[in-house]
Order: sequence, then C-alpha cells, then structure tokens
Amino acid sequence: MYDKTVRRRRAVLILLVALSLILLTAYFREAPGGGLHSVQRGFLTVVSPIQDGANKALKPVRDLFGWFGDTLHARSQRDQLRKQVDRIQAELIAKQANERSYQELLKLFHLDNQISAASYTPVTATVVAKSPNIWYSTVTIDVGTSRGVHLNDPVVNGEGLVGKVTQAASDGAQVSLITDSEVGISAMVNSSGVSGIVQPKVGDPNDLLLQYLPANSTVNPGDYVVTAGTVAGGGESLFPPGIPIGQVSSIDENSPYKAVNVHPLANLHNLDVVQVLTQVRGSKAARLGRVVASLPPGSQAGSPATAAGEGALASTGGGG
Amino acid sequence: MGGGSGGFPIPLIVRIAALSVALVFVQVGVISEVPVFGVTVDLSPLLVAFVGLMCGSTLGAVTGFAVGLLVDLMLVQTLGVTSLVFTVIGYWAGRLRELRDPQAALTPLLVGGAAAAAALVGYSVIEFLLGVDAPVSFELLRQIVLGIVVDTLLALPFWLLVRRALDPALPDDPRRRRRRAYTTGGLSPLSRA
Repeated sequence: MYDKTVRRRRAVLILLVALSLILLTAYFREAPGGGLHSVQRGFLTVVSPIQDGANKALKPVRDLFGWFGDTLHARSQRDQLRKQVDRIQAELIAKQANERSYQELLKLFHLDNQISAASYTPVTATVVAKSPNIWYSTVTIDVGTSRGVHLNDPVVNGEGLVGKVTQAASDGAQVSLITDSEVGISAMVNSSGVSGIVQPKVGDPNDLLLQYLPANSTVNPGDYVVTAGTVAGGGESLFPPGIPIGQVSSIDENSPYKAVNVHPLANLHNLDVVQVLTQVRGSKAARLGRVVASLPPGSQAGSPATAAGEGALASTGGGG
Repeated sequence: MGGGSGGFPIPLIVRIAALSVALVFVQVGVISEVPVFGVTVDLSPLLVAFVGLMCGSTLGAVTGFAVGLLVDLMLVQTLGVTSLVFTVIGYWAGRLRELRDPQAALTPLLVGGAAAAAALVGYSVIEFLLGVDAPVSFELLRQIVLGIVVDTLLALPFWLLVRRALDPALPDDPRRRRRRAYTTGGLSPLSRA
C-alpha cells in the first residue's frame, strides 16, 4: 500500500514536470501562428469577457488601494508640476511663434503630408489583466481584431507611449509594455534631435535606457524623449513620430555609446484605460506598416550600427 | 480519504479549484495593479505552497501545474514556465508536510517566503535559459529580494484565508486529531485519569 502511494506520487510529479517541459519547448520553438499560440489566443477570447466583468467588479477595490499610494506621492508631485507648468508656459509662448513659421515652411516645400499619430484611428481599451512577473511586462486589454486591432499597433495613454500589441484575439489583445525585455523603440531626444534606441532596464520597471547615442551628442537631465518614427529592423513596431516616451533622469558617460536613463512618462503600474492606434486599411500608415513587417529580421533594435538615425530602415517621417 | 478522484475527496478538489481560479482572476485583475514598495505582489506561489502544506505533495503538484497553466494562458506568457515552477513548489511543500509535519506558528511564513523565493528565482533561471537578454543587475536582484520580503509578510494572513477555505473539506487526519486533543484544550489521557 505504502509502495503504491509512493509510486503514484512520484509518477504524478514526473508526469507534470515532463508535461511542463514539453509545453515549454513546443511553445518556445513554434511560430506565433502555431497550435499552442492559437489555443492561447482562443483561451484569451473566451476569458476576455469574464476578465472584463471581473475587472469592472473589482475596480473599486483596486481604486481604493491605488488611492492610498497616489495620496502619498501627490504632494511632491504637485510641487514638481507647479514648477514645470511655469517653465512650460514660458516655453510655449516662444514655441508658438516657431510653430507658425514651421507650418508655413512645410507647406512651402510640400512636406505637410507626413505620418503622425493623427493618421491612426485610436481605439479605447480597458486593461483587464496584468502580469505579476518581473520578466513579463504585459497587460491584457479588452479589444481585439474585431475592433481593428492588429499585431504591433502602438498603444498610448494620456501620458505617453505605453507599448505595442504582441498578441491579438478577436475580443482581447496582449500589450507588451515599453518596459518589456522584448520591446525596443527608435527614439530621439526632443530638444536636440539626436536619436537612439530605447530599451527596458530589465529588473527595474521604473526605468528605460536610451542607448547608442553618438558620443558627442548633447543630452541633459529633464529632456523629453519621443518616438523617432523609424524602425531599426524587422519585427519592430512602427510607432508614429513624436509620441512622448519619457524624461531623461541621468546620463552614463562611461559607456562607448552614450547611455541615458529615461523615466517613462506613462504610469505603467496603474494602467486603467489605454488607446490602441489602429491603422485604417489602405491608409499610408497601414501601407508603411506592411513594408516594415516585410523587412528582414536581421538587424535588431540592439544593434548600434542600425541605430542613431542613419541606420533606420523605414521611416514614417518621409514626405508625401 | 476515499470517495473522490484518485483518493481525494471531491469537495476538497472543488474548493481548491474554485480558490485557484478566483485567486488567479484577482491576482491579474487587482493585485498585480497595486505595487507594494515598488514591487508587484504575487500570491499564486503562496496558494500553491499552502495547498501542498495542507493537502500533501500530490495535490500540491497538481494544483501547481493547473494554476501555472492558467496564469500562462491568461497572461499569454510562454506556456509551461509557470507550470514547471509551481509544480515543484507544490510538491516540495507537500513533502515538507508528509516528512516533517511542521506545527510551529511561523511555518506558513517560512514556507511562503521559500515559495516566493523559489518562484522568483525559478522564473529568472528559466528566462535566462530561454535566452532573455538581461544583465544580472542590482535592480533585478533588488526586485527579487523585495518581492520575496513582501510575499513573506503577506504569507501569514493569506495562510489563514486558505486554511479557512480548505479546512472544512479536509479529511479527518488522525495526527491532527491527536494534536488538537493535546494542544487546544482537549483532555489528555492523563487528565482524564
């Protein structure tokens, strides 16, 4: 009797471990359109409405906990924001004059047909689930392909860039946040225009790294980092230019390529409502998206040779 | 322990299943959204460890696999990673009960801390083996250590919750009955004499 129990216990353990390893290996090796990925997308489709309902029911609880955390930071944030508003007001007045000249010049040289965030159709979505694992910076949203959401569509909120769609089912989608280890974004420093690649600082969900900047480039703490509107390789998302990503917090002068720490503008810990920038079929953004998707996956976001502007393979910033 | 699937009572299995599904939904919908000391609390490894601690290694391992699979499916993560880690945690906690039957009040705290550590280190090792390009940074270690500390702090209240949910469905264990008689005010054979 005892031997039978021991044998059964060991058999169960071996079976479950073997099953896990088979799943892991099969999932890891198969293409995104493979069977296990399809099962996962099917499960997401089934579970999304339940998650959505549960999310709405549990929202007061989440808000209550969030309120405590938010209150603790509110005072320091208020003082900081007041100073920022004063500075920005002064800058705004100066920049309004520049903007008028810029628009006139664009029209003069027929460059006013560039792709921008306005070329996309925003679809509002609610975040229904978030990964608790530091290795997966992902959230699940309650809209999917039935609302025009596709793979690699940019996801934003009122504060800035949030991430991109990495899996899409009919009524739900997975969004990899900009702090996910698999996301790389071609970006530039707004004040100087120098470009590099923003990648997550793995293990630190509050920080990003802007890497591969030219050594002689000028970057100052407080500068804003925005999407460059380019990609450095196949598989990347074509984010429209000018979406705010973060603010420079510090600069590491020691690395051969200047590395800059960037604090994300979007509060990725407390995402509630986001917008997916979907591409209208046949639009210029959709056509460019298809061109980017067909790029060879050889050059990756982390490659210095393809970074820093000159290596960009596709651009949304081209003239009309 | 008869009357159920594989020798386990069906009410117990139903309670574990309901608790697991509810926890995973609450975990991904609420708890993951509320950072504590800058880290995300993950109660799922604690649940698996406590099921193992209360119900033994077989149920612990099966619960670990099921909860892990549910988490991976719901969050569209690499299938099998969480299942593998949680299976080992559930089995280990169950074996601890079967071999040592620890009765100290702080046992759930230590088991919870160990489960959180095993989960975080386990994920990290598997992710490195799968080729995630991540440096072993101070920040990563800080996140792991803080995660373990926060999960450990929550282990005791969460243990009370899990015990409250599962205790009524647990089969009567002669060892538990004996302990209750001696430690919680019951009459011992000596006092009856």
